[in-house]
Amino acid sequence: MDDNKSAVLICTCGKQLQLGFDFLETHVSKMDLTSSVTVHDLVCQEEGLTKIAELLKANDGHLVIAACSSQKIHPRIGQYLDSKGIDSSQIQYVNIREHSAWVHKDLDEANKKSVDMIRGTLARSAKSIKRTLEKKEIPPHVTVIGGGIAGVESALSLSNLGYEVALLEIADELGGHVRSLPVVAPTGKSGKEILSGRLVALQNDSNITTMTKTKVKYVTGEMGKFVVHYMSKDEEEKTLDTSAVVLATGFKEFKPTSMDEYRYGKNPDVITQFELSCMLSEGKLARPSDAKPVKEVVMIQCVGSRSEDYKKDCSKLCCTFAIDNSLEILEKVPDANVRIVYMDIRVPFENEMIYKESREKGVDYIRGRVSMTWEQDSKTFVRIYDSLLDKYLETPVDLLVLSSAILPPDGTSELSETLGYALEDDGHVKELYGKLRRNETRRRGVVAVGGVTRPQFVFEAVTDAQAGALIIHNELQGGKIESIARGAVLNLEECVGCSLCAQQCPRGVPLMVEQTEAEETDEEQKILFKATIDTLNCHSCGVCQSLCPSGATQLNFLSNDQLWSEIDATLEDAGPDYPITLCFYCEECSVSTIDIVGTRRMEYPASTRLIPVPCAGRVSIIDLLKAFENGASTVMIAACEKDRCHIGGTGNEIAQVQVDVAREILNAIGWNGERVDMFRMFSAEPERFTNAVNEMVKRAKKLGPTPVHDGTAGKWMEVSE
Amino acid sequence: MSQSKLEKVIAPKRQRMLDMVLALGGLKEESAIPLSRVKEELDKLKIELAPLTDAILAFPDSYFTKFLETVEKSRIIAEISDRGILKESISNLEKASSKIESESLKGLNKLIIDALDRMTKVEAPSETSVDIDIPTILSTISDLISEIELITDELEKTSKTEAESAQAELVSLVENLNLIKTKAQTDPETALDELQKIGAKTRYGPGMRAAAQVKRGKREGRIDGARFHNLVLDNMLTEAIRGVIMFILGKMGSKTVVQIGGLMQTSSQAIQNALVTMIQRGEIEMVGLDGDTPVFSKVRTEVPNSTLVLKIIVQQFRGIVKSLELNVAETANESLRNLQSVLERLKILGAYYETALSEPMNKLRETVDNATETLLTSQTSDDAENLKLLVSAGLEAFARFRLKITLEKGPTLVSGTNVYGEKLDPEVYQIMMDTYLDNELERGTILILIRDLGALTAHDLAERTNIPQDRILRHLLRMKRDELLTLAGENHGYVLYDVPRTPSEAEIAILTASNIALQLSEAKVELERILSELKAPDIGRLANSLEVFSKARDKLASVRVNGAVIDETTLMEVEDSIRSAVLLAYRTRAKIPSTRPKVTLEDLVDVDVPSVLDEYRNQMGYAPLLGFGTIEWEQSRCLGCKSCEIACPENAIELKPRIEIPKFFEISEEALSQLPSSRSLFYRTVQNLATVKPSKDISLENEVPGFGSVEVDLWLCVACRTCVRRCPGPENGALELELKWNLPEVVKHIISTS
Repeated sequence: MDDNKSAVLICTCGKQLQLGFDFLETHVSKMDLTSSVTVHDLVCQEEGLTKIAELLKANDGHLVIAACSSQKIHPRIGQYLDSKGIDSSQIQYVNIREHSAWVHKDLDEANKKSVDMIRGTLARSAKSIKRTLEKKEIPPHVTVIGGGIAGVESALSLSNLGYEVALLEIADELGGHVRSLPVVAPTGKSGKEILSGRLVALQNDSNITTMTKTKVKYVTGEMGKFVVHYMSKDEEEKTLDTSAVVLATGFKEFKPTSMDEYRYGKNPDVITQFELSCMLSEGKLARPSDAKPVKEVVMIQCVGSRSEDYKKDCSKLCCTFAIDNSLEILEKVPDANVRIVYMDIRVPFENEMIYKESREKGVDYIRGRVSMTWEQDSKTFVRIYDSLLDKYLETPVDLLVLSSAILPPDGTSELSETLGYALEDDGHVKELYGKLRRNETRRRGVVAVGGVTRPQFVFEAVTDAQAGALIIHNELQGGKIESIARGAVLNLEECVGCSLCAQQCPRGVPLMVEQTEAEETDEEQKILFKATIDTLNCHSCGVCQSLCPSGATQLNFLSNDQLWSEIDATLEDAGPDYPITLCFYCEECSVSTIDIVGTRRMEYPASTRLIPVPCAGRVSIIDLLKAFENGASTVMIAACEKDRCHIGGTGNEIAQVQVDVAREILNAIGWNGERVDMFRMFSAEPERFTNAVNEMVKRAKKLGPTPVHDGTAGKWMEVSE
Repeated sequence: MSQSKLEKVIAPKRQRMLDMVLALGGLKEESAIPLSRVKEELDKLKIELAPLTDAILAFPDSYFTKFLETVEKSRIIAEISDRGILKESISNLEKASSKIESESLKGLNKLIIDALDRMTKVEAPSETSVDIDIPTILSTISDLISEIELITDELEKTSKTEAESAQAELVSLVENLNLIKTKAQTDPETALDELQKIGAKTRYGPGMRAAAQVKRGKREGRIDGARFHNLVLDNMLTEAIRGVIMFILGKMGSKTVVQIGGLMQTSSQAIQNALVTMIQRGEIEMVGLDGDTPVFSKVRTEVPNSTLVLKIIVQQFRGIVKSLELNVAETANESLRNLQSVLERLKILGAYYETALSEPMNKLRETVDNATETLLTSQTSDDAENLKLLVSAGLEAFARFRLKITLEKGPTLVSGTNVYGEKLDPEVYQIMMDTYLDNELERGTILILIRDLGALTAHDLAERTNIPQDRILRHLLRMKRDELLTLAGENHGYVLYDVPRTPSEAEIAILTASNIALQLSEAKVELERILSELKAPDIGRLANSLEVFSKARDKLASVRVNGAVIDETTLMEVEDSIRSAVLLAYRTRAKIPSTRPKVTLEDLVDVDVPSVLDEYRNQMGYAPLLGFGTIEWEQSRCLGCKSCEIACPENAIELKPRIEIPKFFEISEEALSQLPSSRSLFYRTVQNLATVKPSKDISLENEVPGFGSVEVDLWLCVACRTCVRRCPGPENGALELELKWNLPEVVKHIISTS
């Protein structure tokens, strides 16, 4: 592609920046890719904005703005230009304030750094292309899997937002676990009461199709055109076209048949807490073995929870449910004796109130464990170890109630194979990012709400469901999606079908399509695939681009050529006398941290050159090696912390392996692998960035000139012969 | 290609290949057999089964009702002293009752539970003191040995009589077989029919299945005339011989190859050939030697307890003999020799009617125990104090006996030297002895308790002995390894340990009945489910559950209470129904093949393995083998994309995290230009930067997308070529399959040589 010249607009920030603007102007105007240089005092004010519009028009959109952080200025400029109907998609920003003027005392060095970075950005700008508004219409239809409280609530919310909803429930009745709760803390209402209003609304809602006794088998396609394959009521396999999926499959109560000390499954009077709930809500409190009245009740907490053998962590709900049920028992049988054997009682929020109430009403709390259960003379006995008294108690019981662990429902892992969401170690659905992207899953267009993500109280699940519905609405925009397509674009011709993009995309956007027609004529009987990528579904992290062996998939705002020429231009003057450290930084946590370094005027060496990438995962091993080829002494990537990649959890890990391999390769080919490294940081940890940069600058000095500087690079043949 | 020759050359892989020919043929068949035909066969089976199933499903009820009556009347449960057996029976019956509704099983369970409760309550250990002199004991022992020998004679006679009565049947079988051999030369089809009839008599499963498959192959034209003739002459006859061998070993006891050959009027060579495969199939095993010749027997899942008990008695007695005075020792030695010979004879008998031995065997055991005890009290030594302490502790005789020897020998080791001339440090000896004494003391206590109180868990023992539970467990494991203890089920999650006991008739009856009740209840549920709506994929399960009925019936026919078989008439009546039902199910199974179309023998080369794989694996239990080949991997064309690994149906190919970096420097310019752009740019950049050419590969800890070395496990590779076809590398990819031997060629070869 031909290189386009760009206008450069340099902002003095109200003449406050300690930079030699004359120096910048002189040097930048001499650059080949510069069409004009304007030094302006207030780019972010009305007159500056007018200037931008003017320069864009004169240079067909090619404009480099050297000013403060794009995090601050970009939104303002974008908004202004949008309001004027001017395309701003090709503007490139270079931060000479936080990344240069504010952090380097030496004016000469800061000037040099700024010039280098402007030169690099000019190269990026030279190959930029216009991005246009794209539209896509998709059916405003959402499928909700699971008809418990979360599923019902999200179906109602989605319907209110104007979507058609298919609500699929595996059981023959809606309502899930909530239907059988005798009382839901802290409302004092029964589960049925809480459900009833919603179920009526559901029935009156013509947008919602409810299918019970329906089991989802697998799902194909992507956001906007998912196909849900399910077994209908009459055991027929059917399909359903839908645009997004809400996973609300709830949870499963652990059945502790394998824990012999409790005799669950062998002795009918040993039941789980939920089984007791069912019993109470049906009003049939009696001993299951002989239907005699219940007086002595022992409840055991943490059955399977907080246990290395079953569920490692706390199940959160069981304490509250146990107290709910014991109060319910006391109400029905006032002279009943309820004892709760616990390890720690954990009742969050206002549930503390019912704990207090239960103590007042005489529920007996015993800190300890039950070591054994047995039957004698047709009675059930338990042996309780009281750890506060250090004593064993043996006592007959009418009912032994096990507060057993809350597990993810059956089939969660099977569905993940085709729905593409990630799972936590404990089998619950993994949320994209616990702080900022809750309810979203790894797969675009699939949200998970309610108990399937973690044990949740009834009203937590309701809020979760509403949040999930809003996320879907945000994605589907009522079926008429309209945006400037910013993301990966696939060149089908170049795609070799290796599927690396589909394997590694953090959000599962690329799909592999078998080329059956081409296969028929292929002489070698090859199994042929090509990828497809819907740019409107893309999160533009660039992982696919980094891994693609043929350059078939590239971000439309940062192609390989753009980045490589930027590296080349930035490092134009890099040499052994003034060793340069090149830093790729992600525009999520890292940019924020580096900007804070600037605002706090924390100094670091000026021999650093910074290049922004949307996500660390965009940096390929070739990019790293290119930096060395062009004269960098050390190269680093600044990225989000482990498990905190904003793109979907794995962009930073892909970057990490690129760095690891680059390091090994450098060591093998006669370099020092320490010249490349990766550093993680949260969004407001300025020290971590300055420490990292100082370390890499130190290494650059310590390791001295690179083989590229020495002229020995590429001379391996002479050495081996 | 004769059978015997092939078995010598890579038998397992060839076996897989032959299976493959038959099964893929079967897979193809579906295209020839329309669905309507399958339905027709199923309907036919349904009609044929209908009159049989009622009787089959009803027989367990009838049997167990009668069983309960008999048990109530005869009160045999009261005779049972082994709690382990009672507990196991209860657990079986509870499980069975959870599957099906049966009053008789519940009744039976209640009886046993009551009996167990009574036992738990009456717990007054009777203390008997013994004071008998050694010669008297020895003479009692010798009397008992004679008694046992007589019974063993009887047992051998019975087994011989059984063998003789089987003899007549065998003669007709062998005659038949010989006739068929001759017939097979001229008329293989009739011969195969006849062979199948023999199969029905010997009930040798693998043979019956093979015959059905060959027949089907012929019918569908997959196996041509000449090949068919060959198969009948060779493989099918061998299978028939195997059937007869099983008949002999089952009904006439263990035999040597020469004996079998004599009985079958067949050369030892042919028998030997047939036997090898049977050993591989785990059907028979070697149990002893007759002179230098190995004796073979049917594989038995369990050794009778009396044999185990006798083994222990022999060990114990051997110890006694060593410490006796000369003249007494001689008598004892003779008894020992007799005991050993009885043990050998019982081993060769394999399975026998244990109950007959129960009484004298238990007496013998008690007497030998007493003898050891007497021996210890009568003889004195410097360590008498210790010994008396142990005796008064009421310790188990056997353990004390080992102790005594050690105690006597120990001091000499300290004062003198051992055979290697080494001296033992007195302090070390002291510590050793202390630990040893403790251990033996504790183990003795444990054995005594278990013998008196029935099976116990580590937990029970810890409560009774005050020995820490983990120590108890270690002792139990040690004694289990020495075969002093056996496992007897579980209690509250703890394993129950018991001493080997010779079960009485009552114990065998109750245990077997409860066991079978469980099996039958499961099979009944399954059978009812399948029959409610008979579908083609269920046919295998149908046959299996009918087999369970068949085996259960046979087993029940051998259960005796007070010497009589229970509900004999029903058992007799139902026998034929079950047998016919099993045969009908197998026949239909042979007629309706699986449901996979498209495969023909001719285009086996092009079989899309992944698409037929699941079905094949379900049928055969392992993957099909299309041939043997090697996969060549060319690093320079590899993109490290793992597509091969993902596509491989057998998990035979893997991208290992190892970078063969020296090869980066050996890629030709032409090869580089063929590579996708970024890939070649990467290699070029590395070359441009390098100052030296690496000599070693890079090993990475984790997988790295885009990098790695492909490794193929040829043992798993089925040469299906899927990886080669999937590889997206340039110029037809980085992988190449070189077929060293492929199935269609083998098939052609077989056809051309026959």
